This record gives sequence, structure tokens and C-alpha cells, in this order.
Amino acid sequence: MKDPLIDKQLPLFIPHSSISTAVNKTGSWRFFHPKYEEKTAPCSAACPVGQDVPRIEMLASRGQLKDAWQTILNENPFPAICGRVCFHPCESVCNRAGMDDPIAIHHLERFLGDAAIAGEFTADIDRRPSTGKKVAIAGAGPAGLAAAYFLTRLGYGCDVFEAAAEPGGLLRWGIPAYRLPRDILAQEIQRIENAGVRIHCESSVTEALLESLKKEYDGLFIGSGYGRSRMMNIEGEEFASDGLEFLNRLGVGQKISYFGTTAIVGGGNAAIDVARSLVRLGAAPLIVYRRRIQDMPAFEPEVAMAAREGVRIMELATPIRIRETAGDSSSATPGYELTLHKMKVHKKESSGRARVIPDGEATETINIQNIFVAIGADAEALWQCPDSEETNSLVLSHCRFFDQKIPLIYGGDLTSPIKSVTDAIASGKQAAMALDTYFEHGAEAIEKRLAGCRVGAGPVLSMDVYLEKDRKNRTAHTVSYDEIVTDYFQPAARSVPSTLDAGQGMRSFSEIVSTLDNAAAKDEAARCFNCGICAACDYCRLYCPEMAVTVEKAQRTINMDFCKGCGVCATECPRNAMALEEEIK
Amino acid sequence: MKKVIEGSHAVSEAARLARVQVIAAYPITPQTHIVEALSQYCADGTLNARFINVESEHSAMAAVIGAASGGARAFTASSSHGLAYMHELLHWASAARLPIVMAEVNRALGPGWNIWTDQTDSLAQRDTGWIQLYCEDGQEALDTTLQAFRLAEAVNLPVMVVLDAFYLSHTFEPVDVPDQEMVDRFLPPPAPRIRMDTADPCAVNQLVTPAAYMEMRYNTQLAMEEAQRRLVQIEKEFETIFNRTHGLVEAVHCEDAEIIMLTTGTVTGTCRQVLADLRSQGEKVGLFKLKLFRPLPVDLICRHLKSTPKIAVIDRNISFGAGGIFAQEIRAALCNQEPHPKVFGYVAGLGGRDITPDTLVEIYNHTKNHSAPAEETIWIGLNQETVETWSN
Repeated sequence: MKDPLIDKQLPLFIPHSSISTAVNKTGSWRFFHPKYEEKTAPCSAACPVGQDVPRIEMLASRGQLKDAWQTILNENPFPAICGRVCFHPCESVCNRAGMDDPIAIHHLERFLGDAAIAGEFTADIDRRPSTGKKVAIAGAGPAGLAAAYFLTRLGYGCDVFEAAAEPGGLLRWGIPAYRLPRDILAQEIQRIENAGVRIHCESSVTEALLESLKKEYDGLFIGSGYGRSRMMNIEGEEFASDGLEFLNRLGVGQKISYFGTTAIVGGGNAAIDVARSLVRLGAAPLIVYRRRIQDMPAFEPEVAMAAREGVRIMELATPIRIRETAGDSSSATPGYELTLHKMKVHKKESSGRARVIPDGEATETINIQNIFVAIGADAEALWQCPDSEETNSLVLSHCRFFDQKIPLIYGGDLTSPIKSVTDAIASGKQAAMALDTYFEHGAEAIEKRLAGCRVGAGPVLSMDVYLEKDRKNRTAHTVSYDEIVTDYFQPAARSVPSTLDAGQGMRSFSEIVSTLDNAAAKDEAARCFNCGICAACDYCRLYCPEMAVTVEKAQRTINMDFCKGCGVCATECPRNAMALEEEIK
Repeated sequence: MKKVIEGSHAVSEAARLARVQVIAAYPITPQTHIVEALSQYCADGTLNARFINVESEHSAMAAVIGAASGGARAFTASSSHGLAYMHELLHWASAARLPIVMAEVNRALGPGWNIWTDQTDSLAQRDTGWIQLYCEDGQEALDTTLQAFRLAEAVNLPVMVVLDAFYLSHTFEPVDVPDQEMVDRFLPPPAPRIRMDTADPCAVNQLVTPAAYMEMRYNTQLAMEEAQRRLVQIEKEFETIFNRTHGLVEAVHCEDAEIIMLTTGTVTGTCRQVLADLRSQGEKVGLFKLKLFRPLPVDLICRHLKSTPKIAVIDRNISFGAGGIFAQEIRAALCNQEPHPKVFGYVAGLGGRDITPDTLVEIYNHTKNHSAPAEETIWIGLNQETVETWSN
């Protein structure tokens, strides 16, 4: 039986008011004010092409794969290629390493590049209306193609002249298929052609053609790369094969077979590529390098992979003579006798690399079946190099600009500080910006305009900034780990794609590393701190004690009538996308 | 349906049956089993409630204050240092008139670090404005928790359901766990009088000047006084549905007793046996169980105790420099009665030391053999060897 008295209401006397506190303009208390201030992520500043990595990962983590991919395209036309071959300096500066492991930025870039190919994404990249001007480009390598891509976006007509039968340059003839499958290369280049770039293959640029190009075009970009291998200048050099030429023959699909101990002289990426290709063709490669293994200019993961596949490395040895011999006793094929001078460390360079000198008279002679040379390369013809005597030129970080009858820019390996695919793309982008600035404002405006497009404090340039997109508002301050509010992030393992084991990999030119799957890529992208950019987490609004933060159409604003300058928002921002400034009244 | 469950789970079953909507808690032995079971219920969908994990008891109480301010039926549980850490917000919850229910498992405060039972933790919160109900066994813990929601919501005051550590929290006993349908009949969904709503913004609990503060406190005092009357009515209704009742206090053989043993919590159960034994020996002894401590039912205390020559109050707690806290309260309640009994205050069983039937017989005999207490506080069961070493 219910007693109605139980729930009879008692008088309740508590402080209660429905009058708004908005009359109390707490903004008058303020002597600091917060502001939204996006900063530079260390990965972006370290990326030769300045990709907006924190934004790319943010979009990828939300499953907005096309948007993420387009964000790459803003700065780099080759995500699927760079995701595979770039030496990813971004990852070595990733703030996430302070918590567990760096974000797998290159695996994610590759994932997005491959997703775009598989999903047949078409890019809706901003393009300026045509300027009516035309630019000729010598060399369809990464630098030339990038220059053409960015110039096309800026409204220029581009013709690319390439000596080989197919475009790609070093991407095609220098990088083996187990690192960069040919269909990926073809599809990324096709996208550039689809954007309107005309590529003329088997059109070798000669000095004569160059002169006529100067008449027909408004500007000229030369990115012909290093086509001619350096020589050792030793006795018996004629018995040595050219490593680059060998890679080129493989690249165009020639079937070649090797056996027995095969020496490769050199310590760069080409030497590693030659050695690993030889493993696949049946030989037992032996790299001969004059300095120590840790001094090799080849990227360290490549050296490690080579070692896993059985490539041997002889350090501190330099060839002095090659002679023909009767060859391996077990075979009828004649071989060679390679005589090496033993080297020793003389002193260290400032970079930590060893300088070496001959170790007395000590020599060593080894029997080999074949020998390849991959000790570097130079430009094939003199005109391909910028004239070092010419004073009327501008030296940019990745290019050299000559203000001649028509503007002439050298780029790619000829002028890049680091000989890498991504630096070559950076030089193409820099050239495009420099030419565009030249046409709009003259040569004297170039340096200042480019300096205003930097990502972070270094030489890295952003096309988004050049085109005055939102990215322009980021400060050059590079976010450090200490500036991340790590309470908002949980430790999580880095996603690693599957790889062929060394045994499987050695039997074919199939790609060794696979692409991340959808779920792994999403998880990996979600690990990103998104350093320095607003990820719309909304903590600023949620923590504001005065409810002074409002969000309208995804834009956050602070109502200064009520912001009392407590700084909670800026302090709680997990990724340092806010700042607190003293107010002088 | 009768189930053999531990005291902690009698409470968590009651919270589940009460359809609590928000639980926020921080684990501390010996309370943890209560919220552990509830978190499981939230995780597996047995209970449709929001379980808020927090970093401290201070935040746990803050979270349930927030929930209750939004009109939700909110529950938490704590012990000892956890309860002490909530202290500031205990005042806040009652002054804001929020009907929060908390299970409080009595545990000694450190140092010396001790996880066993001792009532000083809950009694130290005596003046925070919380209703306090001390339970004797698992069934009473379950029933009281159900009644606590009804009571809290009737008078807009928070309620603390108090259990002894281990003797009750971790002891398995047969407990009648009622059907949801019966509980729903007893405890309707909350109809909150305080319910902040973003659609109708308001400010609550802002600055109150001397011009109104006293009236606010008087209003709370009236609600506390009303709570005793409401609990009587709630118990009656509970009895019609569940066919059992526990009383605000319980007086056993008090009418003709010359000595009444006054107990709280699980000691009551032990004392029932001692009472039977002593009665069978012809001793005129009674037992008075005090369950409702805040509000203090002075009228019931006076009615049952005033005509008895001697009262032996057993305190498992100590207010240093004064003595057992229940004894002081009983003395104060009786002091205006003429004549009034001699009140013997015994402190026993601190920090989980056993209070056995022998301990209680010793207390009875001590009371019987003294015409008046020789000291304000009589310590029972002290190890004299240890104490004597201090005088050297």
C-alpha cells in the first residue's frame, strides 16, 4: 500500500538563478590571450617536398583516403613511388618516437598512393587558368616530371623531351622492380600526362635542339640527371661492366644470367641495387667499398636488406687492377683476378664519415667471375651542367636559375644537395615556383617569394603556401615532443606490412614489401600526433571555463568578451595548435 | 530468490535493481567488489548505466554530483582514505541537496596501514550532511541500499549505506535478491527536483550571502529531521512488498533490562547470541541496535533507553581526546532525561581486531560490576604487555 506522504515534496531552498552570467564580461580580466596558431610538424619540415604529413594522417585516420591522397598531390605528384623509394627522413624526426615508435609515414604514403590507383581516384587539384606561356623540359625523370606537373598546375603548357623510349628516368632504369614495380611507375606517370603534360620519348635533347627550344618556348628546365658512370681509371677497367647500364638493361626487361662471385665496386644505392639484382640472377655478389660499411652513402635499410639476401661486403678496399684469368676451375668460363689495395681510416670528416688512405703497401687479390662498377655518375654532356662561371645566376637550394634570353633552370641530381628521388621532385617544384615568379614579377622577386613558401626553418618549400592556401598561416616553429600533451595519446604498436622472406625475395624481382591493408593503415594513421595542426578534437571548447570557444562550420573562434586569458585551452591543446600571448594594455 | 552472495554483492545487486544511471568510483579495498560487479553489469549490458572511471575519489564524488545535478540516479562506493579524500565534496553533495547514494565500507585509516574494519572513517564524516545507515548483514545491506534511493530522493539529501569491512563486505551469506518487478514497484524511476538542462540554462549553488545562508542551512536541517519520518514510511511500504523490515533502531529485550548493550554494524549479530546466552543464565540484559545515525533518532533512543540503569555502548571507533563516538552521541541524546542511565563507553575491535562473544561478555560483566563508569572510555582487549612496556 503506497503512502502518498512519502513522496510529498519538502521545501527546497538552494541557490538557483536563471539570469545569464553573460553580463559579466570576464574578458576584462585578461592579460594573456589564446589564439589558434598552427605550427610546423617536424616530419613536414624534414620532407624534401614538405608534405603536409599531419593533415594527411589525420584524413587517413578518418577514412578520407581520397582527401588524404590529394593532400599529398598538392606537394608531390608521386605518392605510390615515393612511398616505396623515398628514404623517409620524416620518420627519423617523428615526435611519436618519444612515446613508442615513429609513424610509418612512408608505408601510409604508399598505402594512399596504391589506394588511389586501385580506386581509380581522379584528383581535383586546383589549377590556375592558362598563362599562354610554354616551358620545355629536358629529361622525364622525377625532377622533369615534377617540374612539368607543377608548371601545368600553375597554368603553363609543358613539353618534356626524353631520350629513352619510355619516361621515368632513374625511376625506370635505376631502381629495380623489387623496389618499384613498373606498373606503379607507369600509372603515376600516366596521371601527369592526363593532367596535360606532353612527354616526347626518344627525343634526345642535343645542343642543337636546345637552341631551337630556346626560340620556341618561354622557359626551359634541364633535369637530365647523371647518365654517365664514373670510371675507376685502373688497369683492366675495360673488363668491368657499368652498373647503371646493367640496371638499365634489366629495367627494359632483358633476361640476363650470372653465376659465381661477382664484385661490385661502390657503396651507394646503385651498388646495392646492382648487388641485389645479381642475387636474383644467380650470382654471389661481393660489394667492394673503399671506406667502412657505416660510411656507405647507400640508405641503411637497403644495406641491411642486401645483407639479409646474402650480399657480402668487403670494406676498406679499393681496386687497383683487373686481369683476365682462366676462371673458376669448375667452369669453362674465363674469369678475372681483381687486385685490391687495403685501406685504413686516416681521420674523420665532420659528418663522422671516415677518410681513408692506403694501408701501406698491403694488397689482396681475389678471383671473380664478373665485376661491376657503381661509384657514381656525372652528366652525359657539358650543356647538361650549369655553367659555374656564369655570374648572372641564382643559386637556389635545389636548382640553379639563369636569367638569359629565356629563363633557364637546372634541377634534379645536377643541382640537388642530396641525390634522391624526393629531392629531385623538390627541385622540380622549386623550379616551377621560380619560373612562375619570374614571369609574374621578374628574377629579382624569386628569392623572397620562395623564402615565403618555406615549411619550417629549412629550405623545404610548399606549393600550398605558394598558392596561398590555409597552410600559409602556419608558423615556422617546429613542434617538439615536449610540446605534445601526451596524456591524450595511448601507446600503440607501429603497423608493419608483411614482407617476402629473404629466400622468396631472392628468387624473383617481385616487390619485397607489401602495402598496408585498410585496417592497419587506419590504425597507423590514428597513431599520428598531428603535430601543430588542429584536429578538431574540441578540447579547447570543452575545457574553456567561460564557454568562450564557439565552433561554426568547423571553424573555432574565441569570444574575447569572455575569454579571461586563463590559458587552459592552449595548455590542453594536445598538439600545440594554439598559442598564448601576453596582452599589453 | 535466495542466493549465497557476499555483502559487497548484496549492495551491487541492489544498485542494479535500483536501475542506477550513473556510477563513478575509484577502487579501494574493501569496497572494490561492489563497483567491480557494477562495472561488469555495465559492460555486459545487464545494467544500462554510464560507468565513469576516474583518477580519484574526489573526482568520483564530483562526477556523481554532476550526474545527480543533471537529474540522474547516481551511485558510488568508497572506504577509508577514499572517503576522506571525498570530504570536501561530501559537504558539497548535501548542501546542493543531491540524492546520491554511496556504499561506504568501514576501514581503518592509516598509518599504520590497515585494510580491516573500523568505523572512524564514516564517523569522521558525521557532520557533512549525509544520512548514515549502519548495516548488520547482507540482507540488510541489500534492503537498505534500495531504501536509500527512495529516501535520498524523498528528502533531497545524500545517503551513506555503511558496511563493516570483511565481516560484512567479504562474507558470503544467503540473501534474498528480489525480482526486478518487485523493486520497480517499490522504487519508481527518479523524478528529480534538481535537473540542470542545457535547454534551460541556469546557475546553481552560486554565492550566498549571510542574508540567506542560515536559512539554507535550516532548510537542510528540516530535511534531515524529515528523513527519519520518511524512512519509517518507506520501511512500511518496503514491508508490504517484500515482507520484511529492519527498523531505524531495534530494541531486543530492552523493557526489563538492567543493562542494555548498544551496538552498530556486524557486532549486533554477535551480540544477539551473547544476549541469548546471558538471558538463559538469568541476566537481565537487553540489546539496542542503532542503524540510523544521521539523523540521530533521539526520540527512539530516549524511548528505549531512558528507563534502564546502565547502557554499555560498543564503539569500533575513536575520537581522540574524547572517546567512542557513539557513546558521546548517546550520552548527549539522554542528558536531558531525568533520571537518565549511566552510559559506559567501550572502545573495542579497532583496525579489524575481533569482537568475539567473550569480548561482549567481558563488557557486560564490567558494566554489571561497576555502579558507574570509572572513566569516560574503557578500552577492551588492549594487550597489557605492550602497554606496560611504554611506562619503562
